Amino acid sequence: MLHTEDLSVSYGAVQALKSMNLTVPRGEVTAVIGANGAGKSTLMRTLAGLVRPQTGQVLLDGVSITGKKPEDIVRMGVALVPEGRSTIPELSLEENLRLGGLWRDKAGRLESQQKVFDLFPILAERKNMRADTLSGGERQQLAIGRALMSDPRCLLLDEPSLGLAPLIVTQILELVSTLAKETNIAILLVEQNAVTALRVATTGVVLNLGEVVKSGPAQEISSDEELRHAYLGY
Amino acid sequence: MTNFVDYLLGGFSNGAVIALMALAIVLVWRSTRMVNFAQVGQAMFTTYVALTIQQSTGSWILALVVAMAAGLVLGIVVFFLVIRPVKNSDSTGAIIATFGVLIALQAGAGMIWGGDPQGFLTPVDNSGIEFAGRIWPISLYDVLVLVVTAALVIGLTLLFTKTNLGLSMRAAAFNPEVARLSGVRVNRMLITGWAIAGATGAVGGVLIAPVSTISPNSFDILLVFAFTAAVIGGLDSLIGAVTFGIGTGLVISLVSGYSDSGNAPIVALILLALNLLLKPDGVFGHHGARSV
Amino acid sequence: MKTLRSFPGNRIIWHAIIVGVVWLLLLLLNNNIDPLYSSYLALVAMYATAMFGMTILVGLSGQVSLGNGALMAVGGYVFALTSMNWQTVPFFGWEWNAIWSMVFAGLGGVLIGGIIGGLAARLKGPYLAGLTLGVAVGVPAITNRFPELLGGENGLMLTVPYPAGGYAAIDAGGEVATDEGGDAAVDIETDAGATGEDQQYAELDLSEFDQGTDPLAEEDLLTEDDLLTEDDLLTEDDLLTEDDLLTEDDLLTEDDLLTEEDFGAGGDLGIDENVVDPTEDPGVDGAGLDGTDIAGGGFIDGFDSEFIIERWQASMAIAVACIVAFAALNLVRGRQGRVWKAVRDDPVAAAVVGISPSGSKVSAFVVSSLFAALAGAVFAQILSFIGPGAFGLGLSLSLLVGIVLGGRASLLGAIIGALLLVWLPELVDGLSGERGWPEQITNNAPNLLYGLLVVAVVLLAPGGITGTFKSWIDKAKGRGRATLS
Repeated sequence: MLHTEDLSVSYGAVQALKSMNLTVPRGEVTAVIGANGAGKSTLMRTLAGLVRPQTGQVLLDGVSITGKKPEDIVRMGVALVPEGRSTIPELSLEENLRLGGLWRDKAGRLESQQKVFDLFPILAERKNMRADTLSGGERQQLAIGRALMSDPRCLLLDEPSLGLAPLIVTQILELVSTLAKETNIAILLVEQNAVTALRVATTGVVLNLGEVVKSGPAQEISSDEELRHAYLGY
Repeated sequence: MTNFVDYLLGGFSNGAVIALMALAIVLVWRSTRMVNFAQVGQAMFTTYVALTIQQSTGSWILALVVAMAAGLVLGIVVFFLVIRPVKNSDSTGAIIATFGVLIALQAGAGMIWGGDPQGFLTPVDNSGIEFAGRIWPISLYDVLVLVVTAALVIGLTLLFTKTNLGLSMRAAAFNPEVARLSGVRVNRMLITGWAIAGATGAVGGVLIAPVSTISPNSFDILLVFAFTAAVIGGLDSLIGAVTFGIGTGLVISLVSGYSDSGNAPIVALILLALNLLLKPDGVFGHHGARSV
Repeated sequence: MKTLRSFPGNRIIWHAIIVGVVWLLLLLLNNNIDPLYSSYLALVAMYATAMFGMTILVGLSGQVSLGNGALMAVGGYVFALTSMNWQTVPFFGWEWNAIWSMVFAGLGGVLIGGIIGGLAARLKGPYLAGLTLGVAVGVPAITNRFPELLGGENGLMLTVPYPAGGYAAIDAGGEVATDEGGDAAVDIETDAGATGEDQQYAELDLSEFDQGTDPLAEEDLLTEDDLLTEDDLLTEDDLLTEDDLLTEDDLLTEDDLLTEEDFGAGGDLGIDENVVDPTEDPGVDGAGLDGTDIAGGGFIDGFDSEFIIERWQASMAIAVACIVAFAALNLVRGRQGRVWKAVRDDPVAAAVVGISPSGSKVSAFVVSSLFAALAGAVFAQILSFIGPGAFGLGLSLSLLVGIVLGGRASLLGAIIGALLLVWLPELVDGLSGERGWPEQITNNAPNLLYGLLVVAVVLLAPGGITGTFKSWIDKAKGRGRATLS
């Protein structure tokens, strides 16, 4: 379980996250939704260690990972799939995957790799191709696969739907929610595309201007008309 | 025609050394996106170290190994000296700092070893090989230079393509953020890149020293040749650096053969200017062999 | 005062006053110090001239170039060639070879700087630095390519156009004393390397003359032909010209300090001994010469006292430095300075508001080339020699060192840097004398210091000396401003 306490982040005079309390339970998908500039990406980057919070704490199963470096946080079990195609096009698909768990022992790596190939069979087929020859959907699967190579307890997905066809997005997200249940990892999903995100999520969190304005069961949030008009713009 | 072949053959070992220096420049560029203008100065310094070892022990191999070790250390030291402005995104300052290191290294070498050019003994015979009824413009020493260079290039290629360390270094070079998020200790990879570059340059220095003599400034021209080769190769590409390093050596050999060795810098300058004018990112810059 | 400075026209006047006062003070200083210090002063002024260009190029425009030493060489060679190979050419009616030569040196710098700058505008930092590094290292190769014209590795001895009547010194009381042109053992202490080399070259040249094997056959012929007549002409000049002609010329030309320094002419050439002397000048310049300068319009004190070459060199170098400083001040503190900084800080934003980033970069390059070429012409006159050794990579690196230590984006920093470049080697030399260091240490200590200082400044105080002081002052005033303005 990933948990934040009073987490605040500011860039100069701009406060991007205000005293945020958030819980991401294991075995389910938690969706964070909100308009542009609501602080979604900042939240993810802070959890992964790319941004240092001014105050507050991030706890993973009760252990603080606040202020640690990203390379240490991933080793402790929190893996971020950043926004955009976060694969490295100059490396082969297999190398991109391998990169995700280089510090682990070989047996563990192979086991994780097998899990990823089971989850995304297309990756196994294209193992030796360069990452820049893959389609957008394949690359997103590869990016998630790389994060899974670290055998995370908590997976952070930042806008995985960006630039992908809706059908592929749905496929990927459904795989992800299955993954959460089967392997009992905590998944935090940040999406601008609220409808899709809330469909696969158990819990929904609505973010506005760096603050949580509402959180609750995903279905409840997606049916709240007022909330939709005010913060989600549809 | 015989002349042409002879000039070409004679250019290979110089080209190999230029390739090594270009490799060093590329290794640094890949890890920190900056050109280390002190690179060849570091090689000069470690070559003096090698000279001292060779003079006191008589062993060329030992001298080479010590020079490589010194190159590693010096690479790391220089990294820490010049990396801060890069992190403060003062790119002008970063370039200037490398020149500061170059000036200090040259003066330091002059202080320790004096300014007079010194000779460096070759471990094997350096006169043309006699074969098939004529003397060829390649000596046993040239062969050694080529063998050492080839071994180093193959070793580096294996390191980068086959090992976890190499994969981490490439990832850190191409996308530091994704590398960090994957658990790669990027800063260590950058330092490793600088260290390997230092050792590679050190090998180049030891190999060229017997042919050119060594003095604090004698490698300046080598810096221009190596930079030219690295830039034409795309600054990012190890294969590009090696290919165009050897190519530069051949061109220089031809120019020196047909006109005068004094014209070589002008030719290098013209090559560089044309390349920058026509294709600022180099031949192997964005695509092709970048991944190796 | 603030409103006064805010109008461009007034700002120019303001700058003119500042520069004028500094110029006068420097001339006073020059005339009242030991000639040895005058020679240092000349070098400082020469370095400052080149480094004003570096301020603009590196500091304001953000382009690290090592080409400025080479551009100084361009200026020096153009000056040498024009002043050696041309007979007196009237300059707006006045026979000022030296001024013409300076003008052409400047034009040469602009031309070559424009070419390199045009290429450079497309390049990002390290590429530009690498290309100009190639230029700096390639200079000797280029001079070797044209040995007849440029003298190859040996370089060219210069016929420095000293004012033929001698040197006029303005003393504190505004009186003017003219000194007879005479001896001229150039006694400058540049970096150890440079001086050593050029002395060597000088010897080479002379010996070749003696053996009659010099490749410059033309000059040889001239020499021999002129040997007899020359002496005659010189004496004639001295006798004829004297006071009468002088005063007339004075009344006509007058008023411009430049006149004094850059006088075309020359009984000069003590250095070259009689053998080399031939190179034109004699009679014709003799006429121009008598105009013997004298700005202040005081009276001429005759030719009896000794011509002090160091003072002449310093006043010439100061004149050029002040004119360049005036131009640089107006550029840096005017619109163009803001354009350069805007492009340096954010080329995209600058382009959005209608500034052409490449145009801005090229203009910075051209201006700095002009300044470098003028400095090179001055340097050539100070050395009475131009050759690849003194204008190589080391010189370019020195300029970079000076500008970084003084303060990258500040004209005052350029001056402080120039002082450091001249003073530090002297300091080390002095220390070395006291402590008895071996030559190997003494020769390399200044560069070692420079290198380490440059790294330290970039790491710890990127604004250099002026930037650091500025940030201290700002801090004292309670505002926190960036050190690199």
